[in-house]
Amino acid sequence: MKVRLTLGLGLIAGAIPVLAHHSFSAEFDATKTVSLKGTVTKVEWMNPHIWVYMDVNDDSGTMVRWQCEGGPPNSLTRNGWTKAALKQGDSITIDGTLSKDGSHTCNATRVSLPDGRRVFAGSSGGDTNLPPAANQ
Amino acid sequence: MSTRLHVAILSAATVLTVASLAFSQEPAAGQGKGQGKAQGKGKGGGRGGPVAPTGPTPRMPDGKPDLSGLWFRPYTPNMASGPAKDTRQGDPTGPKELPYTAAYKAKWDAYKPDEGDYTGACLPFGLMRSMNSPDPIQFMQHGDFMALLYEQNTWFKLIPIDGRPHAKNLDPTWFGDSVGHWEGDTLVVHTNNFNGKTRLDTAGHPHSDALEITERFTRPDLGHKSYEVMIHDPKAFTEDWGNKRTFTLRTDTQIMEYSCEENNKSLWEGRIKVPKYDEQ
Repeated sequence: MKVRLTLGLGLIAGAIPVLAHHSFSAEFDATKTVSLKGTVTKVEWMNPHIWVYMDVNDDSGTMVRWQCEGGPPNSLTRNGWTKAALKQGDSITIDGTLSKDGSHTCNATRVSLPDGRRVFAGSSGGDTNLPPAANQ
Repeated sequence: MSTRLHVAILSAATVLTVASLAFSQEPAAGQGKGQGKAQGKGKGGGRGGPVAPTGPTPRMPDGKPDLSGLWFRPYTPNMASGPAKDTRQGDPTGPKELPYTAAYKAKWDAYKPDEGDYTGACLPFGLMRSMNSPDPIQFMQHGDFMALLYEQNTWFKLIPIDGRPHAKNLDPTWFGDSVGHWEGDTLVVHTNNFNGKTRLDTAGHPHSDALEITERFTRPDLGHKSYEVMIHDPKAFTEDWGNKRTFTLRTDTQIMEYSCEENNKSLWEGRIKVPKYDEQ
């Protein structure tokens, strides 16, 4: 399975994810976006936010372990997610925002699922100006 | 002090830009049995949910409106209508900039969430920030009390609504002391005795321990609740100000448990700083 890491810098088009229990900018840098294609190794379906762990090969072929934060399980459940939506071994792409501390940590804005569906990964209500792809 | 309420009335549908998702969603076993017509699919349910049920305002045996139900609200991370730190989503019914005194303008300008946002440590949001949160609230009206069950962090608030005065000699708290009374079909809730450790919204707007919040709740029909809040804080603001919103009833889902502490790994791993909330 081909995996790759693409880092892109620049403003997200209006989509600052909702982090209801704390300030987004306390942890993430909205000006640094990332697109990660890799293999799911673990999903923590827990409050206050789900976390998805994935192995990603960077452009040099080195495998890097990433962790990405999603929305709260409650709002994801109401939006049709289930604990089984992602499972170990799934090949996915996560588009998100990098953490400020330089670790391999991101806030997931969108997740492309194995069956081709692309879903918004954060809390839905209140996020403004989501690009149309987020609603597909 | 002049009282000025910014009441550019917008429907919840225009306040919110709701992200609908591709996943299908089967309706949960319903609450709201007998509460009007079934909900249809569509936007306007507060967080991408179904359209609110229709019908007349339900009433208690004494004739007062029954404000009970599971209510979804517009997430309001920024009570000002202008841009603020950490968010571009202002509330169009709020003042463009909050009318801070010089001292609290300096506090606001100096605020850096990177240095510690108390909510990241799961400390109580406080009343206003809880009302601004994106998670639903279950209202339970019974006799002389209104209970608010916040899904956010599984908090609650119990409000006597029989017109009694504030209790005396209470220690200041995160959520303050609330009392309510009826003005016609409007429930008016006044809250004071805050500890001053919270912020009004996710953007981090500060307030003082002199904060007093007046909330007005009405239920014009079955599926909607009008919410008007006024902020009075003479230490922090040069004048009173407020916001106005519409809550939407949801009967296709139910309140869920929410533990902020369960997997708050961002705090444990140091990406969120331990807050120095006593210095706010």
